[in-house]
Parts: sequence; C-alpha cells; structure tokens
Amino acid sequence: MRWRLNFFHPIFIFILAQLAWLSLMGLWIYWFVSNYIIFKQVGENLSPQIISKGTNTLALIGGLILLVIILGGMYLIFIFLNKQINVTRLYDNFIAAITHELKSPLASIQLYLETMITREVNRSRQREFINLMLHDVNRLQNLINSILKLSRFQKKLIADKYAIYIVEDIVHDFVAKAIDKFRLSDKSIKIEGNAPCHCVVDRDALNIVFNNLIDNAKKFTPGSFNMIIQIECDSKKFIINFIDHGIGLSVKDQKKIFQKFYRISGKDVPSVRGTGLGLHLVKEIIKSHGGKIRVYSDGKNKGSTFTIELPIYKKAKKRYHNRLLKLTTKKEESEDAST
Amino acid sequence: MPVHNKDSFSGAKILLVEDEETMAIGLKYNLSEEGYSISWAKDGKQALELFKSKEFDMIILDIMLPYYDGFEIAEKIREKSSQIPILMLTARTEVKDKIKGLEMGGDDYLTKPFHLEELLLRVKGMLKRKAWYHNFTNTLAVYSFGANEVNFENLICRNGKKVFRLTPQEAMVLRYLIERKRKIVSREELLKNVWHVNLDMETRTVDNFMVRLRKYFEPDPAKPKYIISIRSAGYMFSDD
Repeated sequence: MRWRLNFFHPIFIFILAQLAWLSLMGLWIYWFVSNYIIFKQVGENLSPQIISKGTNTLALIGGLILLVIILGGMYLIFIFLNKQINVTRLYDNFIAAITHELKSPLASIQLYLETMITREVNRSRQREFINLMLHDVNRLQNLINSILKLSRFQKKLIADKYAIYIVEDIVHDFVAKAIDKFRLSDKSIKIEGNAPCHCVVDRDALNIVFNNLIDNAKKFTPGSFNMIIQIECDSKKFIINFIDHGIGLSVKDQKKIFQKFYRISGKDVPSVRGTGLGLHLVKEIIKSHGGKIRVYSDGKNKGSTFTIELPIYKKAKKRYHNRLLKLTTKKEESEDAST
Repeated sequence: MPVHNKDSFSGAKILLVEDEETMAIGLKYNLSEEGYSISWAKDGKQALELFKSKEFDMIILDIMLPYYDGFEIAEKIREKSSQIPILMLTARTEVKDKIKGLEMGGDDYLTKPFHLEELLLRVKGMLKRKAWYHNFTNTLAVYSFGANEVNFENLICRNGKKVFRLTPQEAMVLRYLIERKRKIVSREELLKNVWHVNLDMETRTVDNFMVRLRKYFEPDPAKPKYIISIRSAGYMFSDD
C-alpha cells in the first residue's frame, strides 16, 4: 500500500481541500467585513442612499450557506470514493481467492488424469482417484454456483419462493441435510430450545444461510468440530444462535465480516479456502426476509456466535410479509401461465 | 509405464507441504512411485514441526497455507538450512509472487495446474543439483573476486560491507558462471545445466537470479562489472 505513504493519499488531499475552502471563506469574510465598514463610512459621508439595508447581510448568509453545501458535497464525494477504493481492494482479494479456488481443484483433476494416462494404476487406486476427482468437480461446481447465486441475488432472483413455515421444523431439516452434506458426525450439531412460531421463508435461500454458517464454523474450528444451535420465539421475532467453538473473531473482523469479498486472514486461521462471498450472501438473504444478522465473539480462540432474527408472521412486519407472499403468488401464476 | 526410471535419487526424502488433501494424495502417490520417501504436512505449523524433527533432501511447498504461508516457511527454513532445495508450487501466477517466492528462498517455482512430467523433472533436477553441488564444493570451497568472498561450502559470503548467506540455487548459478569465467553462458544453458530443466520455462527466472546476484556482489548493480549481460546471448562472469 505504497499510496498510503505519499501526498496523493485521498485523506491528505481531502484535508488540504477543506483547509483551502475554510481559508478562502475566512479571507472572504475578512475582506467583506473590512470593505463593508469602509464602504459604509464613505457612503454615509457621500450619499446615505447608496447604503441599502439588508441586502449585504443576505449575500453574506447566502454565500455561507452555499459554501457549506459545497463542503458537504465534497465530504460526501470523499466518503463515496473511499468506499469505492475499499471495494476495489477487496475485489482484488476476491480475484486472487477465485484464482486459487478454481485452479486448485483443476490442478488436482489434471494430476490424476495424467497419472492414470502415464502409469499403470490398479483398479482400487483408480476408484480412489476417480472419487477424488469427483470431489474436486463438486468443489468447482459449488464455487461456480456461489458466484452465480450472487449475481442472481443482485438481480433479486435468489429468494422469490416465500411461504409460511413452522421454523422449528425447517431448522431440524436443514441441520440434518448439512450433517449429511459436510460429512459431520450426528452429535457434532446440537439443537437447543423450541420455536413453534411461523415465519415467511424462502426455503432454498434459508438453506444456503444454514449451509454457509455451518461450513464456515467447521472451516474455522481446528480439531474436532461441534456446534450448538439455539432457537426461540419471542413476542415478535424468531431468534436463532449458531454457537461455534472455533478461532473466534477480532472486533475488526466482526465489523467487516459481512462485507462483500471480505475474508479473515492471519496466523491463527486454519483454512485458506473461500471467496469472501458466503457471509455477504447470507446477510443479503436475511435482509430480504426482513430479518437481521449479527455476530459476536469474545475474541481469539473463544468461538463465535452468529445470531439471526426473523420477524414472526402476523406479529411483525405484516405488510412486508404480505408483499413477499403476493410477489411469490404472482410469480407462480405467471410461471403457470407460461407453461 | 513409469514416467521416469528410478535412479540414484531413489529413497530421497521429500517434505510435501500442501493443504489441499486431494492434491497431496496424488502428489504423494506419484512421488512415491518414483521411489522417493514422502512426508506430508497439511499446514504451515506441521511443516515447520516436521522440518525440525526430520532430515529432508528437498521441500515441495505450497504458498497459500493455513497458519504460516509458503513465503514465511521458506524464510524460516532458510534461516536454519541454506542448502535444502525448495520447489514452490502454487495457484498464484503473478510475477510479483514468483519474485517474492524466489527472494524468500525458493529455488524453483511451478504454477498450478502443472503437468505431472514437468513436476517430476523439476524434482529430479533439484535433487541432481543438490548432489552436483555437494560434489563441487569439494574442489573449490572459497572463491574471492573484488571485495567479495564466497564460501561455497556453508554459502556464507562477504562483500566488504556485510556478511550474508546465498541460497543453494544462487550459489549454483554463481558457481556455474565462475567455472566458465570470461565465457558467455546463455540463459538456455543455465536452465539446462543448473536448473536441469529442458522445457520452455521462462528465461525470466534466470534474469531474476542475476538481479539478485548483482545486488549481492556488484558495487553498483546498475553497472555490473562481474556479472555482465551480453546482449541477446546471455551472461558472462569476469573478475579482471
């Protein structure tokens, strides 16, 4: 980050520009006030009629307001540009991560194919190699899917099949599927509590949320993996906590973890896999359900807790829920009509 | 059909540092088939522990690893052993990564995906170099030119200002040039006889090594007087 060291750093330029504006304003006020006094004295002596009351004060105040508007505008542009610079930097990380995630399975597949062409591999080994290749093909497929999902999400296409469910049932179903998908032991995820309340949910989209949170917890837990999922319903919302015993998150990471392309790094991170898309997608899905997601960690090696809150059907965000259900019905009708 | 005949390097001990399990299993199988003995470390911590506890003839090192990345591992290994050859194996393709890898003590660099045959040739080449180097340090241990003094046995050098250590690959390149003093050595010749690869490898790798050697030994690296570039031909060592 060499650009941080030179005088072209945006913050330096911004402060300099602000100082220039403020000096200009000071000079202008000084010039205006001093000339006004002289002008007033001369005017009073020569011809009292040329001193108009009120106009000059109006010009002064008007000028000040315009300057404040310009300063505010500059400030907003600066904030916007800074955000863009950050996104670009994260995007570079994303490209590096994608390169790694695409090339690693590809390299492995190529290695096995070349091995089988150049060597005489016995049948049981061949089966082992084919299974490993299939594992890599699966990994490539998941990666491509997650990129496509994100682009679908940006077009508001990912969560569009909303229906009313008893959340407790779908939680049990998602966890069972995740145990199977990530080859976890049955006891590695424990569900605590009851949640017999109803929520408006896109089942497939919410499944992505569960898979991402469980896979992340597994990736960032060195040694044996176990997780507690607490569920409960209060008067207005369904609350679910994903409690893991992994490496935890620093305060800085807790703030940035849901940003697009953001990835945690450092000496304690037990995995380098990932693209920085997963948790961003999770947040967007929860937002589209009218819910909230946050993360809490006591710090290094103290695990993390991801908390999701979804509004309960007919008890909160009624109009929003009705809109989601209406949109789903509309979509289904148009699909039926086209078939 | 085996890719290569097993030879005198059969039994050579290789430390494979790779976090991708599928890749590691394939590499382990192929290298074992060539007759090498493989120890596999799946992250940076394990790699350093294994390196401390066992003797190895070479290291195959991935760069993106949990805990310590490949650059850090190469650096830590170089602090303890200047002679062990390190082959960096990674999905990163940017030139700056290659240069960093070589600067941190890597001797060779291969990007994923790679051809199995190329990998095996490079591994063999590196083991050959190690043996070759071991042989020639017996004939000429210390060489001096200008204010510089190079000890080819322990790789410790003095350039009049500071004492530092060469990587084995740097020492071999320098040694090759010194042995052919006042003769032009082409990049291809260096690749063939020092890197022991006969493939369309980028000749830029050679140039990167020359830049490093000049930084070490030339009073003014911009105007080299010992390691001289001969336009469209290669390099020449001269200490006249």
